[in-house]
Amino acid sequence: METADTYTIVLTERNMGYAGQFYMVSKEGIGEAPISVGSGYGNPLMFSIKAVGSVTKGIMNDPYGEIGIRGPYGNVWPWKSYEHVVAIAGGIGIPPIKALIEDMQGHTSLDKLTVLYGARSPSDIVYRSEIETWKEEMDFRITVDKGDENWRGHVGVVTTLVPEIKEYNHGAAFVIGPPVMMKFSVKSLLDAGFAEDNIYLSLERRMECGIGVCGHCNIGRWYACEDGPIFKYSDTKEEPELFL
Amino acid sequence: MIYKMTDKDMEILFERISKDFQSFGSKEENGDIVFGDIQRFSDISEEKSSYPPKDFLIERSENILSIPRAEKRAVFGVKSCDLRGFYIMDKQILGKDPFYTVKRENTMFINFVCEKMCSGGFCTSFGGPVLDEYDVQVLHKNGYFYVEASDKYEKYLFGFSESDDQNVFEEHKKEFESLYGRLNVDGIENRMKWSSNLWNKFANYCISCGACNYSCPTCYCVDVYDDDDGRKKEWDSCILEGFTRTAAGNVRPELSERLRQRFYHKFKYYKLSRGAYLCTGCNRCVDDCPVDIDIKEVITHDYDRE
Repeated sequence: METADTYTIVLTERNMGYAGQFYMVSKEGIGEAPISVGSGYGNPLMFSIKAVGSVTKGIMNDPYGEIGIRGPYGNVWPWKSYEHVVAIAGGIGIPPIKALIEDMQGHTSLDKLTVLYGARSPSDIVYRSEIETWKEEMDFRITVDKGDENWRGHVGVVTTLVPEIKEYNHGAAFVIGPPVMMKFSVKSLLDAGFAEDNIYLSLERRMECGIGVCGHCNIGRWYACEDGPIFKYSDTKEEPELFL
Repeated sequence: MIYKMTDKDMEILFERISKDFQSFGSKEENGDIVFGDIQRFSDISEEKSSYPPKDFLIERSENILSIPRAEKRAVFGVKSCDLRGFYIMDKQILGKDPFYTVKRENTMFINFVCEKMCSGGFCTSFGGPVLDEYDVQVLHKNGYFYVEASDKYEKYLFGFSESDDQNVFEEHKKEFESLYGRLNVDGIENRMKWSSNLWNKFANYCISCGACNYSCPTCYCVDVYDDDDGRKKEWDSCILEGFTRTAAGNVRPELSERLRQRFYHKFKYYKLSRGAYLCTGCNRCVDDCPVDIDIKEVITHDYDRE
């Protein structure tokens, strides 16, 4: 368990996907859910899952039971096209950023990555031990919406960290988290001088098939599963249903 | 090549096809026109079936933990509007959905071109009853059957008499259009308005039954879910509240939003993503709607005057 409601599973199979992609993870008799991969390409497959729906709760309640996996599906964070990347993760948006770190490691210096991670409270922080390492390897900043008596770090929603990284506004910003957090992150990024076509959003929708067949996950003309889940803000900003 | 065939010729053609395929056809049963087994060409009804033959390729409910099975089937008496529906759906799901794909590739459709417009139908707005893409296309006119086949199935027509008039389908198409006219569909993707009061108006009387989706020859959305009996895909409806519900919230909690989605998908999103409108003008969604919501109103509505 990472937190009271979030758990990590590591499989013996290797991840054949890249950061930003997802797998359909299933529990027979309950159903399937799209879960972002939390490890880099070639590493053991890893998912960190928040138990919020029937499938994610079902897997948590049967920790040694069988699960089904199919994928990887969807597109990837386009980090290779940029000199610098600011990744902004809210809540359970952090696993795809962990995968991003692992994909970048060994290919490029982690100096070109800045991570802003916002959790609701100190007890909601996922990957506590990894974060200690990441803080030494790169510019990794963390904040909580609400602190507690032991918290000495930054307090405030993750968007409050954006003005601090204004110096990177020539690069890309990758945003993943709850809809409200993404909406306000985009606003802060634009205010900080990031270009609309350098802002990428990983969008969450009801995905039932993952392969563009079931028709549930559309965002305007696109399906989040086959055209996304990562979209350029400049392409999608006119969509009235962009944010929930 | 267009062949001119008699009733007797059609029985021979039926026999030829039925040697290689299991044959189905539209037929009258207790006052309804339904698809089922047929023994001879004369069993086939030329009336529009009560439901489109969608379930030949997308079953109402299907276990997807099984291996897709290739059964060679021929379906006679499909109306052109319904067959056009498959060609439109192909653009999104052929090659992706293994169950649809296997069935699509192993099913031969013998479509009947309507001689007259059906009640309420507006197929001329979406190309009319003469198709450019088909397996075997049949026009019953002036006591003869005019038949043409795609290259793949041309062999079944060898030996029959070629028609002196090789423009019979083209002429029928023109005649049909001039007789029945067409709605101004072109550019509807740019005319529809997100804030139109049409969506609220429809929502005032829509009862979210989903009949419009089930009766539509182009609605391909399916629900994927598990039950005690395995993993299923089953016809779904974008009009139902749970269609987009997630743990993070629901992007379309209001019925008016879901109705708008249905029409935006049909007349805007699919046009932009796949180059076609998701409608064939069959009018089934209108015929089957218990509260008389008419998709034609979405096309003809004057959005500029709102």
